[in-house]
Amino acid sequence: MASNNAAVEREERLKSALWYSIGQFVDEKSLDSDLNATPQFIGALTELVYTQIANTARDLEVFSKHAGRKTINTDDVMLLGRRNEGLDRILEKELEEIRSAEGRRADGQPVARAQPAVAAGKKRGRPVGNGKAKAKA
Amino acid sequence: MPPKNATANAARRKGPQFNPPRPVNAPSQGPAATKRAPAAKKPNAPAAKAGLQPAIEILASSDEEEEEDDFGQDVDSDDLMDEAPARNDAAPATPELAEPVVPRPLLARLLLENFDDPDMQIQTGAMKLVGKYVDIFVTEAFLRSKDERKASAKEGGIVDGFLQVEDLEKLAPQLVLDF
Repeated sequence: MASNNAAVEREERLKSALWYSIGQFVDEKSLDSDLNATPQFIGALTELVYTQIANTARDLEVFSKHAGRKTINTDDVMLLGRRNEGLDRILEKELEEIRSAEGRRADGQPVARAQPAVAAGKKRGRPVGNGKAKAKA
Repeated sequence: MPPKNATANAARRKGPQFNPPRPVNAPSQGPAATKRAPAAKKPNAPAAKAGLQPAIEILASSDEEEEEDDFGQDVDSDDLMDEAPARNDAAPATPELAEPVVPRPLLARLLLENFDDPDMQIQTGAMKLVGKYVDIFVTEAFLRSKDERKASAKEGGIVDGFLQVEDLEKLAPQLVLDF
């Protein structure tokens, strides 16, 4: 009971934090477009976003477990955009950017984490499956 | 059409889910693009700029608007020094895209709280990508509400310029299907 209460309270506090961030965002954007938002709207939007994040977390967890991993990597996140082409493309662009930023940091070596298969494969020759998939992503 | 639907299940699924929002998307992303473009440019944040411009191309194909903004700014800063600051004031939303809608530490916490397995971990790159995803979700929700508001104002609803919960209720199902 006590732990249950604590969990509920933690969720409430996280929701409050999210409410604040979303409220700021909505207020800022509404000012730009000469609009306004009722507090109820912001509350409802917070609830929607919170649920979406919770679902996303569970999706990601299941994706990475399906791949036999205990760590979520970018491949799992890319699956989030599978139902929406536009979203998929945005995420792909973002992924490229993240990879190039990390690549620079790691002295031009492709990112250590996300694609060890490619890094290892390049030294040895051409990996058949992995290289193709990663090169495209 | 029906026979095609019956045979190509995958195509059918992709189609209806993605195509219907397009009319919704197109108007909603127009304003987004106009806002985003200057937003990305002004703070001179290369990361944000590079990240957003491709997105705009994909979603709204509003390259012309972007270019106009570019030229407008260049001309202003070269010829009229007084005008340049005024424009900056006019677009105070600039930091919005440089700094995420949902702060990253909060998002990380929210994700970790919702994992069933407490040992689950997430890579930094993946975390950034999720951040982008959530930001797109929130932005899209807001822009669609805005459209919904405009539409219902046209139909003779309340015209006080206040986004209502009802607007969100109308768009939520499609939004969730799209994400």
